[in-house]
Amino acid sequence: MTRNVHIAGVASTNFGTLPGRSLQSLAAEAGRAALADARIPPAKIGCLFVGNFVGGIMTGQELLGPIVAADLALANVAAIKIEAACASSSAAVRLGYDLIRAGAEQAVLVIGVERLTGGPRSALTTAMTAAIDQDTEGRAGLTFPGFWGLVMARHAHLYGTTREQVAAVTVKNRKFGAANPLAQFRKTVTLEDVTSSPLIADPIRRLDCCPATDGAAAVVLAAETLVRSCGSPSVRVAASVLVNGPARACDYAEITTHDGTVTAARRAYKAAGVAPEDIDVVELHDCFSIAEIVDSEDLGFFAKGEGGPGVLQAGANRKTVINPSGGLLSKGHPTGATGCGQIYEVAMQLRGRHPNQVEGARLGLTHNGGGTAAAVTVHILESVAR
Amino acid sequence: MNKLAGKVQSYTVIRVPGNAHAEAAPFVLLLVELDDGRRVLGHFSGREPPAIDTRVIAIPSPQTPVFTRAEDVS
Repeated sequence: MTRNVHIAGVASTNFGTLPGRSLQSLAAEAGRAALADARIPPAKIGCLFVGNFVGGIMTGQELLGPIVAADLALANVAAIKIEAACASSSAAVRLGYDLIRAGAEQAVLVIGVERLTGGPRSALTTAMTAAIDQDTEGRAGLTFPGFWGLVMARHAHLYGTTREQVAAVTVKNRKFGAANPLAQFRKTVTLEDVTSSPLIADPIRRLDCCPATDGAAAVVLAAETLVRSCGSPSVRVAASVLVNGPARACDYAEITTHDGTVTAARRAYKAAGVAPEDIDVVELHDCFSIAEIVDSEDLGFFAKGEGGPGVLQAGANRKTVINPSGGLLSKGHPTGATGCGQIYEVAMQLRGRHPNQVEGARLGLTHNGGGTAAAVTVHILESVAR
Repeated sequence: MNKLAGKVQSYTVIRVPGNAHAEAAPFVLLLVELDDGRRVLGHFSGREPPAIDTRVIAIPSPQTPVFTRAEDVS
């Protein structure tokens, strides 16, 4: 018999440039706050999963599971690091969800953490490209801005998506981020700011790119019975899906349709018994401005090719609000922490406590992608009547 | 030797490369669909990327292939 799984508690550090902070200190701060939010005794935690992508490359620190467990005084727990590039911590949430659903654990703590700032840009680019197949496309010099440059050029060719529509994603998400106290970027930008910023990987420009970010976020997963007995301010996990997609640009039949996202979304909607039009609020993986357009199509919020014009409907006649946290473009993208950070944002929406609150939000969705959308998670969360 | 021949599916220009390609930047990367249906990433002989659907060819290589516009060599 399977059990209902809840997000019992959440926490997030500020996202941004955080000099002097170690991976351990950021992870412990988020983990401690999430446990306090959940009101669940630490002795109930059976596993600690730490989602992290490039901690070893950027800081030299590995073995984050046992180190962070020790800092949180968690004894005799399974404590390991989970890596799925930018989807590391949301993949870890899926593993925790499975353990609780199967009855193997009552509660699991998942922490995502990353430190990306402080080094030269070439070192950061090299670290990020560790998620590109080094036997093939890494050798050709592909970078992630380059991958999304390929996507953007072809999306414009096939569907007529304009430079202004893509730039409007950044403008929208910077506006949302300006009101989010956790966000890295809290200043608004104009279309002209985006379209005149330096080229990084044509046609991708600097303000089409998410920033390098430090930060941590944490999620306490727990069985429904435990949540009720502890009085946790929980939201229910209606679906938790992790799938692989094409791991190389050349593996895509059509690079503007991301198969992993399409499959994960389809499975999540089926598991939750809902449709895209039922979703009130979404935090999706806008690592680049064109990514929000492609993802919003692949998640079913727009027909393929209509995501560009759809950006301009934001806040007007569209029901589903996309990236009210500011998204990766504005809240920031501490890669290994991003998945837990998205779940934090949606959980706060469903609890009615978000700085950019979507009125009456009852169903929320998170979408997190690692590599070339090669590891994709979709979570659907549901508010709990109190 | 059979040449790699196909059509440009998409393009980008890498201006901020990783350390291994620092000296080559900026360079054009092409996603090419070959006539046999395979897709490959390749470099381009010119400084400006060709339009999508342009026919290109390259000499097969164990390294990254370098494509040229087919009309320039026929």
